[in-house]
Amino acid sequence: MSRRAFVRSAMAGTTILALGGASYVLASTDEEKKARATKRPDGRPRLPPDQYLLKRIRPMGGTVGDPSPGNFRLKVYGEVEQPFTIDFAELLRMPQVEQTCDVHCVTKWTVLDSRWTGVRVADLAARARPKRSARHVIFEAHAGYTANVPIAEALAPNVLVAHKYEGAPLARAHGAPVRALVPDLYFWKSAKWLTGIRFVAVDQPGYWEVRGYHNHGDPWKEERYG
Amino acid sequence: MADAATKEVDAPEEAGVANVRAKPATDAAARPTKKLAWRPWLRAAHRDVGYVAVGLTFVYALSGIAVNHITDWTDGDPSFKSYSRTVEVGRIEGDDEAIVERLRTRLGIRETPREVYRASDDQLEILFDRRSLHVDLANGTVVDEGQEPRFFLRVANWLHLNRGKKAWTYVADAYAAALLLLATSGLFMIAGKKGLFGRGAVLVLLGIAIPVVYVHFAGP
Repeated sequence: MSRRAFVRSAMAGTTILALGGASYVLASTDEEKKARATKRPDGRPRLPPDQYLLKRIRPMGGTVGDPSPGNFRLKVYGEVEQPFTIDFAELLRMPQVEQTCDVHCVTKWTVLDSRWTGVRVADLAARARPKRSARHVIFEAHAGYTANVPIAEALAPNVLVAHKYEGAPLARAHGAPVRALVPDLYFWKSAKWLTGIRFVAVDQPGYWEVRGYHNHGDPWKEERYG
Repeated sequence: MADAATKEVDAPEEAGVANVRAKPATDAAARPTKKLAWRPWLRAAHRDVGYVAVGLTFVYALSGIAVNHITDWTDGDPSFKSYSRTVEVGRIEGDDEAIVERLRTRLGIRETPREVYRASDDQLEILFDRRSLHVDLANGTVVDEGQEPRFFLRVANWLHLNRGKKAWTYVADAYAAALLLLATSGLFMIAGKKGLFGRGAVLVLLGIAIPVVYVHFAGP
């Protein structure tokens, strides 16, 4: 084969692959079309822009933490009047919330109607009593992972410290025994293997936020990258 | 175009021989112009740095592809394979120790649990090193779930994301510098008919244009 013929063949092959990949990516199922057309109570479409649907959440990796409920401790501290630490049994004794919500990953998948059980971050905050100076919440997790969320959004009623997914205790890959759940922001904010909730006066970009991802992460504004 | 006296050769050793052979002519005007034969040295450096970089390139490239596409291929975790199954075991009675033994027998688990945790009257958590049993005593069901590390990708990904920090930062920095050297030396390795201003210029501009155009149309 001559060099010219080789280059032509390579270019043709690349074009076909690119077109095939694009058509695969752009293909939309009826379910996705319906989710795009359906509105949430706040008027936004159920499926944020450029997202596709999955049936179950994906683990997405991360440095695996200790799945032991016996070793679990959650520290609530920072700009609060009453910092405290609770264990797994005490977390289960707090008012439990069962919630069905949609979650959206920055890698473009969305799961509709995922079922979670846990404790509202707002209830934990009510016990810790944040000071007026507290403006942001930092979710702290295993191996130094952090995710920052504005306090108003962290205390929304659908933000949980979750220990069950789809009716079963949280799987190891999903951050057992406890993870954060912030459904209205990209899912990297929902820190797995949660160890702490820290209230701060000044925002502190977290693990992914300092690695080029958006500081806020609103799926409907496509705040993927900073 | 190089003439016979200034022709470059393929290897530094040969370049040395060529220089020795280029004896001064009796006529000073006919003495060949002495030209530094840098290209063979560049090729040698490129080749040797390339050899050293092969291992790390495989680590970073395969890990990068895995991170980009793992969600298309598997459950989205490049480092671990996760599994989960629900087993109906019927009503189990007895204390925690008896329940654990019965389930180990039923599920064929030889490993000793590292933790048995009674989360509530109806919920027992049994943890092994890479496996968890979530026992619903009321319904007689066990969710058996765990993770198995992927053979190569776990380590490659760990290195790629520099999870280890410390010394690996220096290795990663040195590798980045080596890639810069490879890219730069690659521009000048083979002269070509028109040097860098022929097909090379088109290809270099194309390579630069790819990220520039992408960022222009789809960037932040």
